[in-house]
Amino acid sequence: MRNALALVVVIVLAVLMMAGVSQLPPPGSPDGAVHRHVAAHYIDGGKEAAGAPNLVTAVLLNYRALDTYGEVVVIFAALIAVLAVGLAGHSRGPQRQPEELPVSPVVDLVVRLMAPFIALFALFMILEGHVLPGGGFQGGVVLGALMILLGLVLGPRRLRRMLPTPALFWTRAVALLAFALAAGAGLALAGWLFALPEQPWLRELIIVGLELAIGIGAALALVGFYLSLEADRHR
Amino acid sequence: MVILFAIGLYVVLTKQNLVKKIIGLNIMETAVFGLIVTSGMVTGGSPPLLGQGLEPPYASPIAHALVLTGIVVALSVTALALVLIIRVKAECGSIELDELLEPDE
Repeated sequence: MRNALALVVVIVLAVLMMAGVSQLPPPGSPDGAVHRHVAAHYIDGGKEAAGAPNLVTAVLLNYRALDTYGEVVVIFAALIAVLAVGLAGHSRGPQRQPEELPVSPVVDLVVRLMAPFIALFALFMILEGHVLPGGGFQGGVVLGALMILLGLVLGPRRLRRMLPTPALFWTRAVALLAFALAAGAGLALAGWLFALPEQPWLRELIIVGLELAIGIGAALALVGFYLSLEADRHR
Repeated sequence: MVILFAIGLYVVLTKQNLVKKIIGLNIMETAVFGLIVTSGMVTGGSPPLLGQGLEPPYASPIAHALVLTGIVVALSVTALALVLIIRVKAECGSIELDELLEPDE
């Protein structure tokens, strides 16, 4: 009964949405409404004004830097919330011995071989994110996935030993702090939030620095999610 | 995209398992991202990178930036939801909604 009602509601909503979407201009034409006004202004702004040849990074870190700040705050808040749920302190039953799943030697060898290359690729994506497609979040996610993979293969204890805990406290917040610093510096020195300096090389340097901070912050957030789940499994 | 969104909504509304609801939420988010990215595309256009020898017309960079932010937010929501589900299972013993909503004896 409930399923049938849900089906009817969903079909009605789908019909309404299709009617709405079909009124949109068909995608693909270069002078549709989405490409005029703001997007054309950003594209014509050029490399110098934007500070980065990759226009998506220019939009994310220069024109719409406040949105990216909000995004960094969201991922950091999710990390805090996950840590605050406190999975490590609750057991599902009688005390279980930490069981280490035996990892096949093939998986072990392949992951160990590939890890430096994956890390190199992640770093490349972070640092070249302002020229080629890539950027802070993409590289950070690859780096975080690499660390989770290593944690699965080497065991979470090795992973925890790789990340020194006192430094972890501050490194996790580095993305947030870097953004706050950039915003504050812009406000103090030039009068408005996130103002970037005029010289193109300094502009580019600051954008690369912000990318690096975002990358490290995203990677550590992913590792934080994984380690909190691991703590629960081994309880 | 609309059909994908409708499928995701149906999953969220009808499935009893909490993890399946989160999967349905992810399907809805994917549909929205797909819609935004395709709205910014240009047939035969090039990616919005200056300086790589690509010439206009460029795909709209704003659509890509929007979706990047959206994907990160979706990831954070999914991670937090999954951790909360684990906690619910630890406290209440089950992740099926009918069992959770039964009044305690």
